[in-house]
Amino acid sequence: MNKLLRQPYWFAALIGLSLSACGGSGDDGTSEPVQPVDPVVTYPNYTSVIALGGDTTTFDANSSGHGFSTPSVNLTEDELELHLEGDANFEASFTTAPNDQHPELDGLDPVFNNADCNSCHQRDGRNSTPSVAANETRIKLGSADGIFLRISKASAEPCTQGTAENNYCAPIKVPDFGDQLFHRGVLKARADWQDNSFIGQADVYLSYERHDVVYSDGQTVSLKKPIFEVENPYDAPGETKQSANVTSNLLQDDVLMGWRNGMPVFGLGLLEAIPEASILANVDADDSNNDNISGRANWVFDAIKAQNGDVTPVSLGRFGWKANTPSVRVQSLGALRGDIGITNPLFPEESVLGTSLHDSYLTRTGFVDTGEGVDGAPEASAEFSDAVVFYAETLAVPARRNVDDGDVREGARLFEQLNCSGCHTPSFVTKTSGDIGGIAMSDSLKSQTIYPFTDMLLHDMGEGLADGRPDFLADGNEWRTRPLWGIGLTQTVNPQAGFLHDGRAATLEEAILWHGGEAQQSTDDFMALSQDERTQLVAFLMSL
Amino acid sequence: MRFKHTAITLALITTLSACGGSGSDDSSTETPVEPTTGFSFAATEMITNLTDDVIVAGYANLAAEGDALLLLATQALLSASATQADLVAAQNAWKSAREPWEQGESHIFGSVDSLSIDPHLDSWPLNTTDLQTQLDNNSGFDAETIKAWNDDVQGFHTMEYLLFGNGVDSNTKLIADLTTSEREYLIALAEVFRDYATLLDDAWQVNYNAENETAIPYADLLKSPGDATNTIYSSQLAVIEELINGMIGIVDEVGNGKIADPFGDSISTADTSKVESQYSWNSLTDFANNIIGVRNVYQGEFTGASDNTGLVDFVAAADATLAARITSEIDDSILKIQAISGSTDMPFRQAILDEDGRVLVQSAIDALTTLQTSLESDVLPLLSDWNS
Repeated sequence: MNKLLRQPYWFAALIGLSLSACGGSGDDGTSEPVQPVDPVVTYPNYTSVIALGGDTTTFDANSSGHGFSTPSVNLTEDELELHLEGDANFEASFTTAPNDQHPELDGLDPVFNNADCNSCHQRDGRNSTPSVAANETRIKLGSADGIFLRISKASAEPCTQGTAENNYCAPIKVPDFGDQLFHRGVLKARADWQDNSFIGQADVYLSYERHDVVYSDGQTVSLKKPIFEVENPYDAPGETKQSANVTSNLLQDDVLMGWRNGMPVFGLGLLEAIPEASILANVDADDSNNDNISGRANWVFDAIKAQNGDVTPVSLGRFGWKANTPSVRVQSLGALRGDIGITNPLFPEESVLGTSLHDSYLTRTGFVDTGEGVDGAPEASAEFSDAVVFYAETLAVPARRNVDDGDVREGARLFEQLNCSGCHTPSFVTKTSGDIGGIAMSDSLKSQTIYPFTDMLLHDMGEGLADGRPDFLADGNEWRTRPLWGIGLTQTVNPQAGFLHDGRAATLEEAILWHGGEAQQSTDDFMALSQDERTQLVAFLMSL
Repeated sequence: MRFKHTAITLALITTLSACGGSGSDDSSTETPVEPTTGFSFAATEMITNLTDDVIVAGYANLAAEGDALLLLATQALLSASATQADLVAAQNAWKSAREPWEQGESHIFGSVDSLSIDPHLDSWPLNTTDLQTQLDNNSGFDAETIKAWNDDVQGFHTMEYLLFGNGVDSNTKLIADLTTSEREYLIALAEVFRDYATLLDDAWQVNYNAENETAIPYADLLKSPGDATNTIYSSQLAVIEELINGMIGIVDEVGNGKIADPFGDSISTADTSKVESQYSWNSLTDFANNIIGVRNVYQGEFTGASDNTGLVDFVAAADATLAARITSEIDDSILKIQAISGSTDMPFRQAILDEDGRVLVQSAIDALTTLQTSLESDVLPLLSDWNS
């Protein structure tokens, strides 16, 4: 895909001249004076842009660990109050029902992944990558881990056209489990709770598989890939995939599983405010321009449309690693119900409703945690839910840093040269009016020129990253292009955060090297760069 | 600060426009801009001192308190012949351990967050129902098992609940009321605390990421901003921004969360169940220690230690009057928190239910609001005036 962008030898020479002029690398100060030549070096127009989130951008915390946790700076006073209310809700830790002192906080599902939003989105960023110490071969996921597994049954045929009959190509739930594996539980979640206290649907173990990548200059990078093992499911305690007679629904061979990390939650309202037509304009499903980049839209079930009685409750997918949710509202309230187990106005039923585990739990504990409050309403009120959603919609994008640095500028040029921008689309302009998540959007999000560096579309990223698990129209190799804004602050916010959908990449360089499929040419070109150039490209990413 | 950055942005946009935006060689048109305003301050010594002599020293103290608490709990409580004095000694050890922990909340960033040590050690309210169930149904507790349980049945406040009782009418507990199961659980919890405190100390002094054997101490990352291999802090400005925002964060949490949440709008909406350290009646000491932690970072040394370089010197380089005012506002906040107990040594959970006590609580909230406003409006903006 990069043939047209590869530069001839003379271009490299000009780059050298430019670097000299900038006082950057390439000039040892001993060369003979040369006649002044106007260097013609093209820098992309985003090279010096600082305010990636337009008027929402924060400058007060854009260099430190608070960089993802600041309200958009252009909120009204009332909006700021709602945002701060949502902030408190985002950190609220839910408890086992009943909680007589704080009934507003009870309802933590019998099984869950975490008890609060913040644990999977630490400081509004990514969660920590689990550590497997040198003296261990694997670890069991527990309360410190933000990563979890999505699960589903394999379908006989790929689902390519969503209809009401095929549930709009939604993942097929694993019988008696669902589409997400909850590895934690309240004390008595399981019938065997006295032997498996605080254990969820099954134990999940994580280990790492490692291999090296070697550049032509001899530099080596060690890459790791997380491997999962699922054991001790509640429907067959003690069972593993290696058991002589596997009976658990979860451990059948046709059950697909894939890791999911928490994502940063800033700038989401702006992404939702990108006009649908602007995103679809970059769709190239059949690669009609022959650049080896397709770009496909995911069309997904929209719970808001369904609740409003829309006969075709389908919208463009924008959020989630496979763009499997259409809005911040669906994403946030889906996670509130799914990851934590708190029912809410958009998702009023427990995610494990009707499973053997839930039925057994209710019987064992006296039907006090049915997913309904005492008044029959969902566990989280509309006010609580709206504030959480608004919070996620209006966290500010941090301003860039070091934009005048010579390496950063060269990195921007290389970013363009390697066609990283073929998928990481630098800029959009948000819409001037309308709704997001079914509600009138905040003025703060309107008409903003933003630089998220994503096309919001699905791309085949190759076998190395594939989880083999379709999600609506996304196939097992496809992932939505990750926004790059703020990515340079990732480990400032959380020093143990990793990159990519499962946190496998400890550095941005590792993340680049995992790019395959439609991005393989860019990765090959990256590997062909000199070490200094590779450093420059990473320096540009770190400035975002 | 916001205005200045906006101005910078506009200036850059203008530069790009002058160059024709995309496709132009804008690199050749830029000339370095010499700062004509602002202030100068050499920050290396301050960053080194705050890292080593405040943050790392504080975590080292916490680890030492973890060792002491475990030793004391094991020796004092394991024996069936343990006395009331043994229980009081364990209670005091718990209070001693709270001091470095609460002071350290003035710099909640880095490993304390990434290792999830904060929720493991300091979650409340507790789930006393589940706790009692586990106490009734198990014996011979071990630390590794408890670590896998939910955070609301472990950590500081579970130890507190077992050591001091429910705190409603008193914060004393008789050794006779401490069951065998509770003793075993306490000792296991003390071991859990010791392990996490050691882990945190090691992360700052040995290796911040157990997954990577070559990872350096987190303290070194803080002390080497801008180094080519430092992916955490890109500049000294980033470190100072981290420290100032850390101070703002805890002042906000104490004023608007720890105190204001249980305080409510009136006596009728006051909620003692939201009070931190409600069982031991250590709440006011906790809150004061939070702001003493702010003072540690601001002054550059622990209370009573010899003078060293702190953020006060950074602020003074820009505005000596402001630096002195912040010192005064920090001290005032600490005094107002401590004054809540009044002449009757009233604990916080009682003060929020007492008319006179509530006046004192409001006074402390006001002092903290003043301090927070100054830090946000006057100190943080100095970063944009600093010629770093």
